[in-house]
Amino acid sequence: MTADTTRRQLLAGGAALGWFCINGSWLQSTPAQAQADGFAPQHLSVAQCSAMNVIADALVPGAHVAGIAAYIDSQLSAKNDSLLLVKYLGVPTTAQSGFYRPALDSCIRLLAADGMTPQLALTAMGEDAVSDWQGPPASFFSFVLRADALDVVYGTEQGFARLDIPYRAHITPKKPW
Amino acid sequence: MSNALSTDTVIVGAGAAGLLLAARLAESGRRVTVLEAGPKRSTDDLISSQIWARRLKWSGPQVEELGDHKVGHAFNAGFGTGGSALHHYGVWLRLHPGDFRVASDHGVGLDWPIDYQTLQPHYDKIQSEVGLSGDADAEIWRPEGAAYPMPPMPLFAQARILQKGFEKTGRRTAPLPLAINSQPYQGRAACQFDGWCDAGCPIGALANPLVTHLPRAQKAGVQFEHNALVSRVLRDPNKAARIRGVEYFQGGERHTITAKDVIIAAFTVQSARILLSSAADTTPAPGNRFDQLGRYLTSHPAATVFGLFDEPTYPHQGVSGGQLLSHDDYDNKQQGNGFGSSQWLIAHAIKPHDLLGYGTGRPDIVGNQLEPWLQDAAQHLANMTLVVEDIAAPNNRVTLSDATDTHGIALARTEHNLDARTARLWQQRIDEGQEIMRAARAREVWHGPRVAMHIMGGTVMGKDEQQSVTDSFGRVHDTDNLYVSGPSLFPSSGAVNPTFTLSAIASRQAEHLITQQ
Repeated sequence: MTADTTRRQLLAGGAALGWFCINGSWLQSTPAQAQADGFAPQHLSVAQCSAMNVIADALVPGAHVAGIAAYIDSQLSAKNDSLLLVKYLGVPTTAQSGFYRPALDSCIRLLAADGMTPQLALTAMGEDAVSDWQGPPASFFSFVLRADALDVVYGTEQGFARLDIPYRAHITPKKPW
Repeated sequence: MSNALSTDTVIVGAGAAGLLLAARLAESGRRVTVLEAGPKRSTDDLISSQIWARRLKWSGPQVEELGDHKVGHAFNAGFGTGGSALHHYGVWLRLHPGDFRVASDHGVGLDWPIDYQTLQPHYDKIQSEVGLSGDADAEIWRPEGAAYPMPPMPLFAQARILQKGFEKTGRRTAPLPLAINSQPYQGRAACQFDGWCDAGCPIGALANPLVTHLPRAQKAGVQFEHNALVSRVLRDPNKAARIRGVEYFQGGERHTITAKDVIIAAFTVQSARILLSSAADTTPAPGNRFDQLGRYLTSHPAATVFGLFDEPTYPHQGVSGGQLLSHDDYDNKQQGNGFGSSQWLIAHAIKPHDLLGYGTGRPDIVGNQLEPWLQDAAQHLANMTLVVEDIAAPNNRVTLSDATDTHGIALARTEHNLDARTARLWQQRIDEGQEIMRAARAREVWHGPRVAMHIMGGTVMGKDEQQSVTDSFGRVHDTDNLYVSGPSLFPSSGAVNPTFTLSAIASRQAEHLITQQ
């Protein structure tokens, strides 16, 4: 599967609709399409979303196009209905915003350092070797963000198809999340 | 505050225990009301997605967790009709006779106030009621009991490959007994082996409460209140031993309901929280005259061993709970410098993502290496889970936090640390598991972290009020009519999945309550 094919397929996930603020208007869209159209995050800053896209894509290629930022931002807005995996790891829905925001601010600083690349950033985060890191431990945040990225890239019918796994739903999800 | 309701029996919690009791008691002619903290759910809500499945997990007031083996409440507990049994895997195993007397036999933990023979008729009755698939003869370790009502589930490639590893290392396996239909049973469909068990089984092949005891309860006229968060039980001001009802919050309002009998079946941590929150200025919480309430919290230390094989395993096929079982080491609890029973659940159907997914479990694989690795694993991975007995210890407990929920009720706090003997046994078994995987000719072997599987204890049953909270019927010692049901009653954990045993206990409780009428 080529990168272009993957991108087209992700953007064409027509049933996966949610409400996103795009160019000042609330529109129904897929997270991937919302990402492509430049959605306006409601919970995170644009800079935080950009840093997330870079790190998540380095962890799980395709996360950016699949709409990782739109996914996380929409789930943080969902409050008690959040479907983020981190709730399993001791971060209740009420505390999830405080989990992502400071860590993403740390990612912004990390990525801005001289000579920094996404791969070097991953290594430093994995070793908890980031000076002035704020938020949850960098290695833990990296683990969680990678799991989130796995959700958006591989946790859907399209993602299963990428891995040649028959989805065989009993009740097919009307949208991926 | 709204007008108070009144009924014969109020049951707190619409999980496996609560709904079994509701159905049986209502069928005997009682008026029964069930209060459930979470939303109303139906089989239509059971969407085949690991992401959507997270809605089924606990979303009520936060539980603060401490210790080196945190109980993982948000993952293990449920929320809404069906409770945690809505996302359980349907692995229904009986405790072994030795599990009921660990203190007498080994000087650790607590004994049960009943023996296996006391529960056996209820195990037999429940397995016929809900439908179990298995091969009793092949389970050479199985305690005495009626044969399963359905034949075992078929074995798929992953199980056949792992079975060879057990054989080569001198170990035995048997088909895993499951509360999943291997053939149509009592109007419910047969399993389709698609591995969506923990997202909830909407076809009704897996015996979750929505398709077993909920329809019976509804037919018998049980009243349900959802999104009803119980805060405390209410003592009769004229007779402290008598519980007159419960207080709960629903729609932002405080309510009360009075009843002849009150049953708390709110799953382990919340059951203890409700009772602990029921202390008054001069009166200790029910069951807590001897500071026993909340103690002896247990959780199985578990981990999954993975292997990659050259031959196809197709790990998406089958059911989440697994296909084979090994109890070879179960009855020998004295294991060198370790202690406890243990079991292997073998060949789970598994997904690439989510907390237990194989992709999530390999954070070392990132970037361009990831997709080829996932594609390989999707066809060639095998896995099996170790479950180890936890030793009941008084300092592993549920207490109340200084923090409160939106209604001003103290949050629950759990502290759970693993006994060094348990940790040593876990490591020994994990090493053995990797040997088994290699003996099955895996080309790469690894294991996941130690995790907490199932939550038990906290309101344990016993003969002595100075070492327990309830009697053998789950009646709280210092009360006439307050009962607890669910895994919080377990004085010892054994190493088997708890739903069968908590259902057998609830069956015995129902029989007791009906004869008390």
